[in-house]
Amino acid sequence: MLLKLDNISFKYPNAETHVFEGLSHHIDEPGFHALFGPSGVGKTSFAKILCNEIKAFTGQIHTEDIETILYSYNLERLPGWSNVGDHIAKITPPSHVEKSEVLVECFGIEKCLNRRFAELSLGQQNRVNLLRYLLQDFNVLIMDESLANVDELTREKIILKVKEMFPDIIFLYISHNIVEVSKFCRQILVFRSIPKNPQTLLVKGQDLAMGQTLTKKDHELTMLEIMNAS
Amino acid sequence: MLHRRLYQFLIIYSLGLSGLFLIKYTLNLSNYVIPGPANLWATCREVWLRYFFDTGDTLAVAIIGHITSTCLAIFVGIVGRQATWVGSFVKVAAYNVQAYPIVALAPIIFILLGDGFISRLLIAAMICYFPILLSVLGIMAEPVVDIEHFYRITGRMRWQLEIKIRAFENMNKLITVIAGSATLAMAGTIVAEFIAANAGIGYSIRIALYQSDLSKILIALFLIGLSLSVYQGLLEFSGYLAKKKWEVPKGGIV
Repeated sequence: MLLKLDNISFKYPNAETHVFEGLSHHIDEPGFHALFGPSGVGKTSFAKILCNEIKAFTGQIHTEDIETILYSYNLERLPGWSNVGDHIAKITPPSHVEKSEVLVECFGIEKCLNRRFAELSLGQQNRVNLLRYLLQDFNVLIMDESLANVDELTREKIILKVKEMFPDIIFLYISHNIVEVSKFCRQILVFRSIPKNPQTLLVKGQDLAMGQTLTKKDHELTMLEIMNAS
Repeated sequence: MLHRRLYQFLIIYSLGLSGLFLIKYTLNLSNYVIPGPANLWATCREVWLRYFFDTGDTLAVAIIGHITSTCLAIFVGIVGRQATWVGSFVKVAAYNVQAYPIVALAPIIFILLGDGFISRLLIAAMICYFPILLSVLGIMAEPVVDIEHFYRITGRMRWQLEIKIRAFENMNKLITVIAGSATLAMAGTIVAEFIAANAGIGYSIRIALYQSDLSKILIALFLIGLSLSVYQGLLEFSGYLAKKKWEVPKGGIV
């Protein structure tokens, strides 16, 4: 499994400066990989290039054993003509029904199934949205603030469960939460604002999995490294 | 909805009539210029039944024209929503053609088709068609990104689903545009009758105009406003029912 970006440059039409220029990065193993950095440095643009939503870029993207790249973000909505449960049932392939039941329980959204999406809290909406992506067939899932507004304990429970249930999938986790990315991600691609060179730096994360423990010192060291890099 | 439309119309009509009476009595105008309440009442008793059926005739033509143009506008709007050359062509053509005043074409239609039902229907449909088309085009060409994204990226998006999402999300706008354009359909029919037709309330208004009989015109206006308010109220109510039936009820299904 390989996802390799070679010399990627991108700027918005009519803009004078690039969002990023000559960016290269590769991911060759599954797990959680973070895109970290302040707002406006191009994390979302980078994600959209990966999933082919942005086509006006230069550079090369190479993939091996990757067929489907999905991109989820935290402002998505479900159509208002069906309740959450009906929608999930409709978009879940028959082979993933069992997985759906496990995830619904882990995500704590059993009580949301009979309700309209618009009636849910933001945290519940984001969990429902992420869940429906996890029920698709994919090799890479980009999670752009997909767990925003979810409380810390539930978020931790969800991430650990997802890591356990999807060991062969590459997750690109976009978040501003330094504690979270340093704790759960295998590697963190830190995006820096445009005058800084290089524009990205790679930091190794703690990659915590279900049943493992993390020492406070190691965690703090990783966080410090990310802060220094950004 | 229906009752609101009706009392709004009655308030506006009463205000207009009061304004006329105020002018009449302030300037001491004769009944020939502005009829007094007694004249108005006498004329009403004399013509209301005939005018009632004339208004019904006009409303029927307006409704058929309105439904025809709404269906056509939705069809063309759905075709024109696409970012293909066909879609762009439809959009540009719609924007350019609607800039031309359709009423100006009415004499040509009467010359070619005569002064019967078809001419009235065609003018009514043409007058309300473009405003509906432009609204439907605007709604259908605007993606609802937050909902459509999932279907697109997972390869589930079909054109029927795309239309369903956009129509559902813009249901209130669509209802407002369709109900609002009913006025245009009615206006188009009346204008057509006024110009050259031989039936309908517009034709009766033309005769009243030749007789300089303001009472008859005021009675005609009352019936036009009343019938249009009922039609628009029913359209809005149908839209409300359709929306209610389509969306999931609040509080969920227990």
